[in-house]
Amino acid sequence: MRKDQNLGEYLRTQGVSRRGFLKFCSATASLMALPPSAVAQVAEALASARRPSVIWLSFQECTGCTESLTRSHAPTVESLIFDAISLDYHHTLQVASGEGAEEARHAAMEENDGEYLLVVDGSIPLGNPGYSTIAGISNLDMLKDTAKGAAAVIAVGTCAAFGGIPQAFPNPTGAVSVSDIITDKPIINVSGCPPIPVVITGVLAHFLTFGTIPELDHLGRPTAFFGQTIHDRCYRRPFYERGQFAHTFDDEGARKGWCLYELGCKGPTSYNACATVKWNEGTSFPIGSGHGCLGCSEPGFWDHGSFYKPISAGLWGSKETLLGAAAAGAALGIGSAMAARARKNKAIKESEADSS
Amino acid sequence: MTLLDFARGPALQWSLIILVTGIIWRIVGALLLSSRKDLSVARRKSGLNDGLGAIATRSLPAHTFEKRIRFQHVTGYAWHLALFVTVLFFGPHILFFESLLGFSWPALPNGIVLFSAAVALAILIALLIRRANHPVQKLISNADDYISVILCILPLLTGILAFAHIGGRYETLLAIHLLSIEALFIWFPFGKLMHSAMTFPARFQAGTSFGRKGIKA
Amino acid sequence: MNVSSPAFTEFRHSLANLAGNPQETGMSDDERLARARSTFIAKLNRRTAVDMETCIHCGMCAEACHFYIATEDERYTPAYKIDPLRRFYRREVSPLRLLYRPITRKMDLDELKEWSELVYEACTGCGRCDMMCPMGINISEGINIMREGLAAAGLVPDELNALQAEQRQSNSLFGVGAAELKAVAAELAQHGTMLPLDKESADILVLTTAVEVRLFPEAIAACAKVMEKSGADWTISTEAFEASNLGLITGDKTALRAAFKRVSAKAKEIGAATVIVPESGHAYQALRWESANALGEELAFEVLAISEYIARTIKAGSLKLKPATEIKSVTYHDPCRLGRQGGVFDEPREALQAMGLDLRETASNRRENLCCGGGCGEYAISHGAPIRQKAFELKKHELDDTQADAVVTGCNNCRINLMIGAEETGWDMPVVSLVETVASNLAE
Repeated sequence: MRKDQNLGEYLRTQGVSRRGFLKFCSATASLMALPPSAVAQVAEALASARRPSVIWLSFQECTGCTESLTRSHAPTVESLIFDAISLDYHHTLQVASGEGAEEARHAAMEENDGEYLLVVDGSIPLGNPGYSTIAGISNLDMLKDTAKGAAAVIAVGTCAAFGGIPQAFPNPTGAVSVSDIITDKPIINVSGCPPIPVVITGVLAHFLTFGTIPELDHLGRPTAFFGQTIHDRCYRRPFYERGQFAHTFDDEGARKGWCLYELGCKGPTSYNACATVKWNEGTSFPIGSGHGCLGCSEPGFWDHGSFYKPISAGLWGSKETLLGAAAAGAALGIGSAMAARARKNKAIKESEADSS
Repeated sequence: MTLLDFARGPALQWSLIILVTGIIWRIVGALLLSSRKDLSVARRKSGLNDGLGAIATRSLPAHTFEKRIRFQHVTGYAWHLALFVTVLFFGPHILFFESLLGFSWPALPNGIVLFSAAVALAILIALLIRRANHPVQKLISNADDYISVILCILPLLTGILAFAHIGGRYETLLAIHLLSIEALFIWFPFGKLMHSAMTFPARFQAGTSFGRKGIKA
Repeated sequence: MNVSSPAFTEFRHSLANLAGNPQETGMSDDERLARARSTFIAKLNRRTAVDMETCIHCGMCAEACHFYIATEDERYTPAYKIDPLRRFYRREVSPLRLLYRPITRKMDLDELKEWSELVYEACTGCGRCDMMCPMGINISEGINIMREGLAAAGLVPDELNALQAEQRQSNSLFGVGAAELKAVAAELAQHGTMLPLDKESADILVLTTAVEVRLFPEAIAACAKVMEKSGADWTISTEAFEASNLGLITGDKTALRAAFKRVSAKAKEIGAATVIVPESGHAYQALRWESANALGEELAFEVLAISEYIARTIKAGSLKLKPATEIKSVTYHDPCRLGRQGGVFDEPREALQAMGLDLRETASNRRENLCCGGGCGEYAISHGAPIRQKAFELKKHELDDTQADAVVTGCNNCRINLMIGAEETGWDMPVVSLVETVASNLAE
């Protein structure tokens, strides 16, 4: 696609019909909880969108986010959206390597200064710059440098959005999220470990359509995808309401598909679109396969205790400490009783003296 | 750290430490005070039977007094029963206890628990209003009485809201619910809620001291 | 004895004048307070601590108190009457006192003065609330400690103070000493009842009270008849005849102990194995349950209420009664200190049934019996007359409901109070003594 070609023209040259394109637009609109009347606007906007330049930086990450994205059920219009942007820099996907790769980044930054989109996956180590480097440049420096000319930053995956697994206790690398470093640019957090592919593309679609960042929740996530909990949308919710729970992974409740709350499902506290959009071409999602939600789209999800610990259970319980507290209480009790006894004996003597 | 993590972690830890320390402190401190042997000759030997008997019978309706205290009796029974059902037989609560105690028991259906929570809440509010208006209760009440009732109302209220997902995000509601219970834990040893432990020695000693005089306490 | 007799009128007159010349204690306010404080500390023990820790301020005890029921004055709530003690406990004695101290205020004398009315006038120490408390709190024990503290601080009502001073100084009450007892004995002898006064040795030492000497000599005569009929070796001592113990009522320990010592020493001196307490509830409670603890040693003799002695000798066959003829049905009023604080419930009833009387229980009875309204020296306090009268109405109502021919009781104090009530209201149910009823129905 030529840079001066708009998306609509490009799609037609790629053999995507108007009908197919509109189908995508309405799916995108509904995904973003836009009214049906917005479909035309989405279509028009997308069709006339100029290919924006996208720079994708990967820091302390596992490439799962990219894997997720590439596994989006291609060939569909989502993947074409990716063709439709100018992905000028992406370690895993780009052909160029070594200095050529870095040159591509610098070229894209110069050419599209102030207009390019920066996508980041992975967290940034602050403990020691040597923990993670690209072409000898520390993650921190590269992020700061690249973010300077970006129109907006999309933090893809929980690591980039909230620190994720690298930040999990004891956080040996001093990992932080993008928003811990970049404070002067609009940041969209597309969390998840990994995020749902259509959520990533949906966010991009929104940006292409409206040229603005979508409405975000207090954690910087688009409310269109992260506005409701897994629990709110879970098909097993009626069993929760009725108090029917699976107690183990192979009991009657598990076989009957009852609520997994007792097995540690984090659905009630996890905001994501898994229960509606699902994975693998809308096939299923973790709860559908009989496993509780891990809450991977939430900050600190690795540190909320065991994945199999119910959310109403305490995260703390040390019998030794409580025995210690009991011992301390006993000591205080004994002390106060002894002091009271001594005082009483004195008072008895006094009152004997008073009344004799 | 999120609010929920705080509520489930450090807040739980410290409130439990205060709860346990305070309860033991208060019980041990009271029970170890000096007590003199009664030198009068007992009418009959009194012991375990009288003590346990009083523990049981002081929960029963009070015969000739009954018509004058029916309101307190009915609300008292209903409140405690509803409280036990709500606290002990709600699935997520059992999971909480299991995480502390290491064992669990069967839950009651949510509908029953929700009903009992509503009953408990309604009674407490009624009792709070009564305390503030009934001449006797108004006169004898102190800050402890009001703090204790309010700290019992809050977990019920926040619990119902969290269960129904009303008024906020679930994790926030759950965290507030947990924090309200932790506030209750912290207050528990220092106020009149300790009657839940102290009533047993109190009734027991009433049973034995009246028992040795040949009187059914 | 009935309410229209001159002796009763004279007695009431002397009650009215008891407070005539109040004595100054000569204590400074600080001293009063210090003495009250050290008394409280000395008296609060494990039992009272557990009680104080357990109160939930439910206010149910009010519904047991005849003064509250009769007046609906919330200040008469039993838990409120001991509130200063509870607050003192929490601040000074409780395990958590260090935490409470910064947020509570110190007990002051004004507070104690205010509560003097509540614990002396508005409480007969009947302990009905003890039976009601859902927590099993012994509220009347708290009242006793309150009274002891107030007594130490010199805040006893003038009437009781006067009586106590009399007992302390001249070993008499209501002007009744050895001489008065001897005069009564001489009078009874003229009517054919001999009192074996001051025997050098006897199995049984029988006590009486100043009130009986002055007001109910028939009761003394009745007691003598019962003792003779049962074939006992008994005596009354002119040196230690007084069973009443004002120390228990006012909370004055010294007076309490002195009175006990007199009786105890006399029983030892004459070798009595049994001491019989006359129809006086508080005297029974004092000697039976409190004296050993006050003296710090177990008693060398057994203490029996006269009704216990009667029931025991009926059972043993040494006392035989015939069916009563003057009255057919009776109701028995359980004196609080004999009943729910003394454990004597069955014996008086057994005696009444042995006379073939139809025993009708009042709606409240035995451990839940409604107080006569004037116990624990209460009837002597002039200022308390109005609420006493209201409380009496409650009692009267329950007694009337039984439609019995007479109310029998085993306590002079109850008897006097019911008679005062009868006189004030023109109530006509006869108030009779158990021992007198038994004595007039002895089988030949």
